[in-house]
Amino acid sequence: MQLQDAKAKFEQQRIKLAAISYDSQAILADFAKRHQIDFPLLADPDSKVIRSFNVLNAEAKGMNKGMAHPGFLYIDADGVIREKYFEAKYTNRFTPNNVIAKLFPELTQEVSQSLEAPHLRLTLSQSDRTVVPGSRLTLAVDVDLPPDVHVYSPGVKGYKPIQLVLHASGGIEPAPAIYPGSKTLYLQAIKEQVPVFEGKFRITQDVTIPVSKAGAGVRALLGSPNTVSIAGELQYQACGATICYLPASTPVKWEVKVEPLDLHRSPENIRHKDSGERP
Amino acid sequence: MRIATALLFSVAAIMLASGQEKPAAADSVAPAIGLEIGQPAPAFALTDQFGHEQSNQTLRGPKGTVILFFRSADW
Repeated sequence: MQLQDAKAKFEQQRIKLAAISYDSQAILADFAKRHQIDFPLLADPDSKVIRSFNVLNAEAKGMNKGMAHPGFLYIDADGVIREKYFEAKYTNRFTPNNVIAKLFPELTQEVSQSLEAPHLRLTLSQSDRTVVPGSRLTLAVDVDLPPDVHVYSPGVKGYKPIQLVLHASGGIEPAPAIYPGSKTLYLQAIKEQVPVFEGKFRITQDVTIPVSKAGAGVRALLGSPNTVSIAGELQYQACGATICYLPASTPVKWEVKVEPLDLHRSPENIRHKDSGERP
Repeated sequence: MRIATALLFSVAAIMLASGQEKPAAADSVAPAIGLEIGQPAPAFALTDQFGHEQSNQTLRGPKGTVILFFRSADW
């Protein structure tokens, strides 16, 4: 389970971690033993707590009846819900590292590579190197501009705004890119205010790796059999104090290893039983 | 070609505004799933995989708690 790997990062932030499902304690004990999971897996076999958090999947039938929508909640030390991360599509889920990256944007992510591009420097990173199908991970571009150079932020008129554009391929579902707040620069000579970025800033974009039906397309995409490449480009126009350069575009690329989903079931005597209802 | 269009101008760099850096909580959150942000989390007490009782109290860290809801460890 990916969460076990991320446990140390949560502990460093002095956040406790628990997971809740509609499984019986016997199922969880078996699963925890097989996967060496030591943080609490909580059994909610009658889905009471799942209901109280309003995360019951009401459409689930048969042996799935009572299951939760997969996702995360962050509750602060005063017991107040501060963040939540749920996907409407039941096959998709946020990775634990994605949640960490969102809760603590300042935490270093796994650095992929640094790139030199015209008039700026880029560092590409990603919340996860290895995921399972359906995972939603975060890709990040850290931009470092030289002093006195700015680029235009989305919404600017008359200039090319900086824009991260991912090439849709292999069924990968990109969420909208997230840009930081911009600064407003006053251009005295033309008496115009323009929204810009300066110095160092980060653009992030979540992508969801498709589940196996689309997996064939994904495999076709890429280098090694289980590695997905997510490629795109960063478009921008850089300007200095006295000159604006031509709009530029730099290719960017992340690689993610995709591992198969664990399809191993619990021993037969403790499995969920089909309640007889049909979907 | 826009080389040096608006740009022979000296730039009076006055920062007038700076927006929020924090991304809005997950853009794809379906509003129907999960209690609203800002709501108190419900109290709970459940048994963990080792047979220990855990509650919102025992799981409260100095900086809070992250709870994962997952579908099943069975299938």
